[in-house]
Amino acid sequence: MSLKKAILYLLLCSVSVLSSQNDIPKISITIDNQPLTEVFKTIESQTEYKLYYIDKWFNGNTISVNYTDIFVDQLLKKVLAQTDINFFIKDNTHIYLTKNNVVYNTLPEDFFSIYKKKDTLQSQTSNLQTEKTAPLFTKKIATNNGSKITTYRIGKENATNLRRTAVLSGKITNVSNGKPISDLSIVIQERQKGTSTGKDGSYKIELPIGTHILTVQGLGYETRNLRVIMYNDGALNLRMQDSAEALDEVVITGNRDRNVEEAITGIIKIEVEQIKTMPLVLGERDILKAALTLPGIANAGEGASGFNVRGGKTDQNLVLLDDGVIYNPTHFFGIFSALNPFSTGSATIYKGSIPAEFGGRLSSVFDLKTKTPNTSEFSGEAAIGPVTSTVVLETPIVKDKSGLLVGGRATYSEWILRSLDNDDLRNSQASFFDIIAKYSHSINENNDIKATGYYSRDAFSITSDSIFAYSNRMASLRWNHKFNEKNRGRLILTNSQYKFNIEFDGKTNTDFDLEYVNNESEFKAEFDYLHSKIHKFKYGLSAKLYEIDPGRVDPLGPDSETAKISIPRERALETALFISDNYKVSDKLRLEAGVRFSLFSALGEGIQRIYEDNGPRNASTFIETRAFDKNEIIKTYGGPEFRISGRYFLSSDLSIKASFNNTFQYVHTLNSNTTVSQTDTYKLSDLNIKPQKANLFSLGIFKNIEGNKYELSFEGYYKTQRNLLDFKVGAQLLLNEQVEAEVLQGDGKAYGVELLLRKNEGRLNGWLSYTYARSFIRLNSEFSEERVNNGDFFPTNYDKPHDFSLVTNYKFTRRFSASANFVYQTGRPATFPLGNFEFNDSDYVFFSDRNSFRIPDFYRLDLSFNVEGTHKIKKFAHSFWNISVYNVLGRNNPYSVFFVTEDGKVKALQSSVFAVPVPTITYNFKF
Amino acid sequence: MLIYYVLLLVIFNSCIETLDPEGLVDDFESVLVIEATITNELKQHEIRLTRSFKFEENITPLESNAEVKVLDDDGNVIRFLESEPGLYLSEEAFEAQPNKNYRLSITTSDGRNYASDAAQLTQITPINEVIAQRVINNGEDGMGFFVNTFDPTNSSKFYRYEFEETYKIIAPFWRPDDLITLTDDPIDCFVQEVFVGENNERVCYGTNISNTIILTNTSGLEQDNVSQFLVHFINKNNYILTHRYSILVRQFVQSPAAYNFFETLRNLSQSDNIFSQIQPGLLVGNVFSANNENEIVLGYFDVASVSEQRIFFNYTDFFSEEPLPPYVNPCEQFAPPVSLSGTCILANFVRSGTVEFVSENPAPNAEFPGPFLVVTDVCGDCTELGSNVVPPFWID
Repeated sequence: MSLKKAILYLLLCSVSVLSSQNDIPKISITIDNQPLTEVFKTIESQTEYKLYYIDKWFNGNTISVNYTDIFVDQLLKKVLAQTDINFFIKDNTHIYLTKNNVVYNTLPEDFFSIYKKKDTLQSQTSNLQTEKTAPLFTKKIATNNGSKITTYRIGKENATNLRRTAVLSGKITNVSNGKPISDLSIVIQERQKGTSTGKDGSYKIELPIGTHILTVQGLGYETRNLRVIMYNDGALNLRMQDSAEALDEVVITGNRDRNVEEAITGIIKIEVEQIKTMPLVLGERDILKAALTLPGIANAGEGASGFNVRGGKTDQNLVLLDDGVIYNPTHFFGIFSALNPFSTGSATIYKGSIPAEFGGRLSSVFDLKTKTPNTSEFSGEAAIGPVTSTVVLETPIVKDKSGLLVGGRATYSEWILRSLDNDDLRNSQASFFDIIAKYSHSINENNDIKATGYYSRDAFSITSDSIFAYSNRMASLRWNHKFNEKNRGRLILTNSQYKFNIEFDGKTNTDFDLEYVNNESEFKAEFDYLHSKIHKFKYGLSAKLYEIDPGRVDPLGPDSETAKISIPRERALETALFISDNYKVSDKLRLEAGVRFSLFSALGEGIQRIYEDNGPRNASTFIETRAFDKNEIIKTYGGPEFRISGRYFLSSDLSIKASFNNTFQYVHTLNSNTTVSQTDTYKLSDLNIKPQKANLFSLGIFKNIEGNKYELSFEGYYKTQRNLLDFKVGAQLLLNEQVEAEVLQGDGKAYGVELLLRKNEGRLNGWLSYTYARSFIRLNSEFSEERVNNGDFFPTNYDKPHDFSLVTNYKFTRRFSASANFVYQTGRPATFPLGNFEFNDSDYVFFSDRNSFRIPDFYRLDLSFNVEGTHKIKKFAHSFWNISVYNVLGRNNPYSVFFVTEDGKVKALQSSVFAVPVPTITYNFKF
Repeated sequence: MLIYYVLLLVIFNSCIETLDPEGLVDDFESVLVIEATITNELKQHEIRLTRSFKFEENITPLESNAEVKVLDDDGNVIRFLESEPGLYLSEEAFEAQPNKNYRLSITTSDGRNYASDAAQLTQITPINEVIAQRVINNGEDGMGFFVNTFDPTNSSKFYRYEFEETYKIIAPFWRPDDLITLTDDPIDCFVQEVFVGENNERVCYGTNISNTIILTNTSGLEQDNVSQFLVHFINKNNYILTHRYSILVRQFVQSPAAYNFFETLRNLSQSDNIFSQIQPGLLVGNVFSANNENEIVLGYFDVASVSEQRIFFNYTDFFSEEPLPPYVNPCEQFAPPVSLSGTCILANFVRSGTVEFVSENPAPNAEFPGPFLVVTDVCGDCTELGSNVVPPFWID
């Protein structure tokens, strides 16, 4: 063997050297012009390996080798390089040689790189061509390897059958937990034909009558080869084994073409696995925080809850957990997400074209799904971090039919605070927890039921005399039913509640207890009609009842002088009918066109204040209070919402997409702050407050490079909004009985371009996202008190033109990886006090025009290092360590700039959440 | 908002730091502030022109040498002349007339022009009654001052109040004798007791002017009836109630726009509490720059009808069985030594006016070493707290 070649091999093999040197022994060998089998015998004599092969494969092949201290796998690789023989090392004791292994030769190109990690050598064989015969595994190999060939006979042989083809269908599930596996590919070797499994693990493929070799494969599963003999239509259900490297949350690359293929624009899907190695803050893995690194999704800064999607307000996002709305999915004032990272399966974020089945919010839908409980065996996952601990347990109830998942998370910050030196801190209180339970029951192949319950609660004592608490409660029930092959349906019932209260128990007689509650219940029926390959319809209806108690203050204790306040309950019914069609116009053009008719009725009982039409809405134009009886309709709003988007393939890996989307929103937060504040209250549209409306136009170009190794997308949008809620200068929002007199409704305008480059495979993966976006609002009126900034467009509180994120992960080996995040954002606009003035014998502060200044820019670098436990299938627990440093640069990012009066002087202060690097170690394990 | 910051402060100690506002807010030009309320009283009306100032400064800059005019519909021009820096008085006494539009016009010394929207005199509604009453307010026992007003035409609706309180002060340690020094030389330790007789330092009258924005409205009520509206409250232990007290309540009937301005100003200046979520922003009044629409001008030109009422009472009228409120100072007596380590003590107290004579020290000792017992000046000299001139309106 020439030196050149040896070097080449060394280079090629470097991957396997890294990954295998831990376990694979080295040997020294000298053989001169002897049969190849001598090499195998030498290996057997020097190591514990037993090699399995058939002598006649090597008839006449002789070889000369001379190596000292060479890894066995490298040696084999070299000596087998010129043959069509592969090898596979199993358990440090067996080496299987295989001939003409057809398993891998039709794998997608990108699959190699993944497989390389598993066993480099197999990917090196390049001389395998499509063959009609099955791989020549010997029996001995077959019994030990997952790739054994089994023959299945499908359908009844019928001599009179003149059909030349038959349909094979079935469902593929995971052998360990009984869950259906989606996005597996099923390839017919000799025909270059294939299909993939759907969401429910089912597949269907038409095959010629006769014998075929099927390969079923997917990342994270042992590839299976099987022989089917098709006599007639029939079913074949398969169970797949996790491959040794599979963790539970594997990213399925089966939807590899989604980037270019999907007909709708502005859709983002986040799988939990993708964010597993991202640097953590205080040890919390957080799917919502990960969303912020993607283009078009921003928040007001660190520690700010709520999202601003494409220039929209934080109240314009519909956050759904298993179909139920979560009003405030955060803990600790937005620093942690309130979603259990282990129970969350995936998040789909619609920031562009929102499918017609969703409605009620202008900007986006965050559709979060809890994992389906394991129905075959007990399993669990837990994490221990510096601030919280999290656990999720899954157990079958009826094996293979029903399972239960329960998860919980709690903080021990109480304990940390108490152990601190500082008295103030020691006496403060901060606690939170969240719990989730999901039950899934598959009644038969046509019916299954899923039920989810969720509760989260935060309680803080800010000063020694007040306790502030908020909670989310959600319950949902979903029944999936399959009528027949073409028709499916779902019935969904949900109930959500958000609540906060402040208890003030001070030394004076002003003690009080304040409470705010909102509650909504929804019924939804949704149906799919798979008309044909060309048309797929979805239709349904929904009805949602809102009940809001905007505020109540009760005096606390017998001595309290606080006046009792109670703002009457608001009620409303929001109903909608929707239909959409996924229409494949041609191979290149696909349209997703939908329309949603929503109708909102503000209902009594309640009172409404009537104002004169031709004046600013204030006490002077107030005419009367009108009372409405229970269920009397106060006011109705509604109209059609169009959701149209389309995709056109310019080539197989390049597409353009365009969409138009209009949305209505009938519920609004009252929040003069930049961020979601925990004292935000929601207000329903009524006689005085009109629904918000938005029109969004987007256009994007999507490109996959080298399979889907790289994904590139470039999207632009333009959005107009009407009736955005804002507030008069000096408005006071909480517990204001005439809040409509403080509200202004104006026009919004937002536009932007979003660039996302994503590398999905290889040792280095991650994404780079950049957004240039602007967001403006105009509050104009003929009356000066209702005019802000001269009635001109001005930047919204969340207008951050430049937003750049880089998220990267580098895998050194299968077990060790490092990640880095870098984020840069323009500082957000703020209204600053400019100075003092004297008026009426007192000093007052005066402010600038709204949002005419900006706080300093935001940037942050986070690093983390991850260590995976060994990947043995049989090990009791699989462990994972994450060591992170958040804000490595120690940048003091202003979260907010504010002003206090101290000694009669106004002082500007900035608060930041994490002004120093925050190191964290988290230990995760699953069993 | 405050709640939030406090929380962050508590949890992430040391994450709040001072910010240099100069870095964010570029050198901001000082802004003209206009305070102008024209009423239906026949008098020389006042307009005050000042400028805004930076947070770190404490002195209100005054706008001098401006040309100030009020114009009415009929082409009448009322000129205002600067009587003291920043304060402009109408050349002649006048009263605002109903159904006439008034406009303000100002040209500052740098040649910039400012104007106001037109404003009309509001409905004239007299105060019905000002009532003093002993009440418990927010748990405090004291005197409350209530207003009742009724407008049968149902058109006043928006009321703003100011008050001026005057109270008799009697210095508890006033003595006809006084201490004097003969020279101003600080090394001269000689102090002499002299008889001065009635020196007008025993009885004085203190005056406070309201400095908060007091507003109420009757909109939404069937009748334009201000009923038992609390304008002012004084804790019963406040020394100003001790002897005799008088309050003058002035009621302005405001236009809705003016009312809204004052209300917003009040909201913006309210201190943060747990409930408050106040939308900050520029408070635009009815005055503006005639040259540059982007120039910020603060203040308001208000034309309002005014009516006032004064009442008097003695502490004993309401608190007959109770001890008088404590004096503003505990008035502990002491006897400073003539000198200590060669420095004159008593003489320099006398020279600076910080002590008042009580009596001769009968038995000097270590605690009371000096020859005279003295008290802090306010205890023996009421002019520190008020004026010794009896106000013209005062009725004993």
